[in-house]
Amino acid sequence: MKLNKKFLIIEILFPVIILPVLLLASVDLVVVFMIMGLVLLFIFFRLLFLKSLNRRFNRLAFKIEEMAAGNVFKKIQVRSKDEVCQVVSALNDLIERLGSGVAMDVSVSRELAQAKSDFVSLASHQLRTPLSIVKWYSDYLLSGDCGELKKEQKKYIKEIFISNQRMIDLVNALLDVSRIDLRTFAIEPEPTKIVKKAEEAIKKFKKEITKKKINFEKNFEKMPVLNLDPRLILIVFENILSNAIKYTPEGGKVRFIIRKTEANVLIKVSDTGVGIKRSDRHKMFTKMFRADNAKKMSAGGTGLGLYIAKAVIERSGGKIWYESPSLDFFVEKEKDKELKSMMKKGMGTTFFITIPLKGMKRKEGTKNLESIQ
Amino acid sequence: MPETKKTILIAEDETAMLDALAGKFKKSGFNVLKAADGERAFEIAMKKKPDLVMLDILMPKKDGITTMKDIRKDKEWGADVPIVILTNLSDGESISEAAAHQVSFLVKTEWQLDEIVKLVKEKA
Repeated sequence: MKLNKKFLIIEILFPVIILPVLLLASVDLVVVFMIMGLVLLFIFFRLLFLKSLNRRFNRLAFKIEEMAAGNVFKKIQVRSKDEVCQVVSALNDLIERLGSGVAMDVSVSRELAQAKSDFVSLASHQLRTPLSIVKWYSDYLLSGDCGELKKEQKKYIKEIFISNQRMIDLVNALLDVSRIDLRTFAIEPEPTKIVKKAEEAIKKFKKEITKKKINFEKNFEKMPVLNLDPRLILIVFENILSNAIKYTPEGGKVRFIIRKTEANVLIKVSDTGVGIKRSDRHKMFTKMFRADNAKKMSAGGTGLGLYIAKAVIERSGGKIWYESPSLDFFVEKEKDKELKSMMKKGMGTTFFITIPLKGMKRKEGTKNLESIQ
Repeated sequence: MPETKKTILIAEDETAMLDALAGKFKKSGFNVLKAADGERAFEIAMKKKPDLVMLDILMPKKDGITTMKDIRKDKEWGADVPIVILTNLSDGESISEAAAHQVSFLVKTEWQLDEIVKLVKEKA
């Protein structure tokens, strides 16, 4: 209606202004009245037109509301060929397409996604027993309980053990992903010392850190006891640390910081590793994605760690993101010669995680996540 | 005087797993009793009254949780015997049910055999 008023005001103002002008110009009165008559006639038809347009738009809005309420497949009648009718025809086409299968496709693909997740969950469970058996027997042989092995035999069985462990990690990660996708995983916060969990995660990679001669720096602020799911926070720490260590070349640097901000705990893990290319930035948190430069650095890796970390953090009320190049190291390297030489091989990455100080959001679920690096 | 050997009953339907566990526990100084299903495990348990029982959750005839409940019904030996549940699942419901029946602790099959034996020795 606003539009109508605007037009009407302009159209009424027009004769009011133009009439005295014409009179002042001493134009013939007959001509003046003729012009006035024409203008009034124009206004009259315009009003009629606007009223009908208004009525048609109202009817269309009403029909769309009816569709939104659930009556999806009722078509709207088209009477002429003007712009309103073009909109109506387009809407009718859309209804037809929805009815003829597009809507079905959506439900079918949803069913397929569910079936896929169910399958992954079932297959992973079934795989666990044989994987455990291979693990136990190779472990049995390596321990020397069945007699000493020759050096070469030991080497080969070690390979079986390591590859089997990789498969166990993958199966566990896949199970976690299916639990995330099926939304069956639980978040069970309890009073937790976050720094203790961080230390626990670091401990897992101690061997790797020493082996690669990584300069590992940790800087943990004194933290209050927080309401966190201790298993989930450990999985997140392990996933992020595992990447930082795996993709940092020998002699590089990794820095792990935990600090308190006004309303959050901020966790920062920076490395002087290969970094993340701009072209990969949209895929970093997606399932099964491994960047080309990551694949070159290490054959191991499921491509699921960041997906799991993101799901855990975001569904418990936190945030996760990264920057690459790592700005901290990029700035510091100008003053630090050693750091500068470390950064020659890559631009580095910093992962940031925030978790509200009030703790993780509880989420009911029947399953727990359990992937362990 | 040498310490008397402790007896452990292991119930697991996967023969390969049962043999690996039995072998490791024997090497570590245990007397080992074996059962391939829950029913058999219960029979042996009531007859031999071992010092420790290790039960798999998913087993034919009678699952591990039911077997544990039946053992706990025995007011003398069964009420206090340490029971270890062996699991390859993180099935929240089964585990919390197990906890309600005084399971001593859980052992995950993805652990290494040495770790399992060490834990059992510490806690049992």
